[in-house]
Amino acid sequence: MDFEFPEDIVRAREKAAEFARKEISSKKALMYDRQEKFPDELKKKAFEYGIVDYTNPWSMLVTIEELCRADPGMGIAATVSLFGAEVIMLFGNDSQKASYLGAVQNGSKMMGLAVTEPGGGSDVAGIKTFARKEGSKYIINGSKMFITNGAIADFFVMLVRTSNPEDGKRHHGLSTLIVPGNLPGFSRTKITGKLGVRATNTAELVLNNVEVPADNLIGEEGKGFYYIMTFFNISRAYVAAQAIGIAQGALDRVLEYLSELQSKGASSSITEEIQMAASDIATRIEASRLLTYKAASYLFQFKPNPTITSMSKAYAAETAVFATEKALEITGYSGINGDLERFFRDAKIMEIWEGTSEIEKLIIWRNLIREARGGN
Amino acid sequence: MSIEEQDILRSAVIEFAEKNIANSAVSIERAGITDDLAAALAAQGFLGAALPAEVGGAGIDRQGYAVILKELAAYSPSVSALVLITGSVAGKLLKKDGLLGKIATGEEAFAVSLWPATDGSGDAGELKISGNRITGTRRYVIGRPGGCMAAVTDDGKLVLVKSGFTLSDEDHHLSFRGLSYSVATVESGDYEVISSNGKETMESILSGMDLEIAAIALGIARGALAKTVDYTKVRKTFEKPLKDYSTVANNISRLMSELRVAEVALQASGDLNETEILMLKTHSTDLAKRATKYSLQYHGGYGYIEDFGVEKFYRDAVGLTILLENQAADGMRLSKEVFGEKSGYL
Ligand SMILES: Cc1cc2nc3c(=O)[nH]c(=O)nc-3n(C[C@H](O)[C@H](O)[C@H](O)COP(=O)(O)OP(=O)(O)OC[C@H]3O[C@@H](n4cnc5c(N)ncnc54)[C@H](O)[C@@H]3O)c2cc1C
Repeated sequence: MDFEFPEDIVRAREKAAEFARKEISSKKALMYDRQEKFPDELKKKAFEYGIVDYTNPWSMLVTIEELCRADPGMGIAATVSLFGAEVIMLFGNDSQKASYLGAVQNGSKMMGLAVTEPGGGSDVAGIKTFARKEGSKYIINGSKMFITNGAIADFFVMLVRTSNPEDGKRHHGLSTLIVPGNLPGFSRTKITGKLGVRATNTAELVLNNVEVPADNLIGEEGKGFYYIMTFFNISRAYVAAQAIGIAQGALDRVLEYLSELQSKGASSSITEEIQMAASDIATRIEASRLLTYKAASYLFQFKPNPTITSMSKAYAAETAVFATEKALEITGYSGINGDLERFFRDAKIMEIWEGTSEIEKLIIWRNLIREARGGN
Repeated sequence: MSIEEQDILRSAVIEFAEKNIANSAVSIERAGITDDLAAALAAQGFLGAALPAEVGGAGIDRQGYAVILKELAAYSPSVSALVLITGSVAGKLLKKDGLLGKIATGEEAFAVSLWPATDGSGDAGELKISGNRITGTRRYVIGRPGGCMAAVTDDGKLVLVKSGFTLSDEDHHLSFRGLSYSVATVESGDYEVISSNGKETMESILSGMDLEIAAIALGIARGALAKTVDYTKVRKTFEKPLKDYSTVANNISRLMSELRVAEVALQASGDLNETEILMLKTHSTDLAKRATKYSLQYHGGYGYIEDFGVEKFYRDAVGLTILLENQAADGMRLSKEVFGEKSGYL
């Protein structure tokens, strides 16, 4: 077992860190946060710099970590424009891949993944948005809530209900459709006033008799739930990387603050309690990394381990929240007037999106007990 | 104030908050506490609750004051912090004269930088007296803008600056967004030195408001948990109300138990000694952080946006312990009481 990354991934991390140093500053991050503005320019540059490349998942994982370490809002905004692409990559047909994937992979288009609805996000099988098939098209009615890139994406991978389950199993009868954002009857409203990740764009989508060609169906009708769960198994590793970046960014700032105190001869104010809090943050980050890299290792070798993936996502998310809160406590005025207050606000989303911490723990449990019972 | 009297006062504060705060809680966060709201608070006797009757205050006792702070905080921690800054800072620092009277009625605004008592290692700017003028900057000024300001100079004098300064608001600060949190730029001859031991005076102001901070923290916890109880009754996942899941129900119920025990102690605070009050504060601020974290979490995505009024409690619970107290100093005070001698400083 070797805990070191191969040379190319080490270089990818360095390149991402270099990009972050050049393009992400506290001042810019604060501006995007306050104005709740998506950093278009940054996203464009990230593609030009060659650091957004989801066909190289390990590089992407460490890149997300490094960018979120510099600033979570900007870091996520720069890397989230392909959110949902794996659904098309894994289950789409050649024509869908040709029409939709190329443009998001080169950064000229943006996409989103629309699952959550006003009535619920955790209970994916409970979604209500309905797509009725009529001849060669689907007619969609319903609404989606909290959709990242919602107001700016060119198209969405959308989970819809295409039939009512006759066997009483709610996760049957769901399908995934590609839905362009500019269709008649499709309205999108940006959600403002988020606690954090305010550089990302979030919107509510309302679909009123929106028509898409039947060719926009991804894979088979009725298999949507399975496709989305497969996707979450991948994307959760990337969310864990976001969370690790946030926690590491918090630790960086704590250490910078404490080193400065030491240089000013104020070492005595760095009590043992503070020293141990910093050690706790660092330990949890390291543990999150090990879990996440293990989950990613399974995943990127096409033998996903949902238990480890959910553990990594939940644990890294908790670590981000823990680290940023402790960091604020340690740094006081300095933290509350600097980057850390933003990190603290940004961190909390990690425990909510792409499976809340509670949902991850329920997944872990289900897998544990199934295994304990010999797979039944 | 007896428990019965506290209950009557509580009903009056809740009635006021329902009428004047509940529907504007989000706009208070976005645009600050309006002059009208400050005037309404004053008219009701809440703004100057802790100030003596001779300057137009309500001259209420500490238990009554705590009721007001707690119940207001359950609707808007910013509004509660305004009452605190008026009663526990202006009321303690300023002379009992016409200026304090105007602050009690909301006619005059008051803001304060509690540096260096809150966190002495922060970069607070430079504020100096030279000849008969005071010039420079002072950071971490919290309160209502547009009136006077109290701060400690670099050489430790506590001053009240009445005019000749501007507050540049940091518009999206973490906590207490209903108040301004600013950098003061001062160029003034219109000031008065209140004390030459500014640091000590500010420290005694902070340590003198343990009960009040406990009250605000408990109000924050109450506000967040009350919303969460309501929400988890109606929000369904997997076709069941959230409250039916044991983790949700038990976590909320345990937090509620901790809250209720602390509320009972707060009500009986007249019988507590200073150490017990400090213990109550330590417990309450810790509880507020945990309660607000769970509350936000159980609101899911809705918890993350300001319209639902939960995220502000999460921000304010953590800001309370940085902006309005000094946790390191409190830790030392508490250890000293527990061990009977200086402890916990290494
Ligand atoms: C900024 C932002 C961006 C987002 N981006 C996207 C996106 O791009 N696409 C998308 O589809 N969605 C997106 N979401 C939605 C997000 O995935 C959901 O908010 C999340 O899945 C939770 O769903 P919910 O908000 O409906 O909460 P609910 O499902 O109503 O859950 C509320 C709370 O109850 C808990 N809970 C639920 N069931 C149980 C149980 N059985 N036991 C114990 N606790 C339980 C949950 O953990 C949560 O804490 C985004 C959300 C936000 C805030």
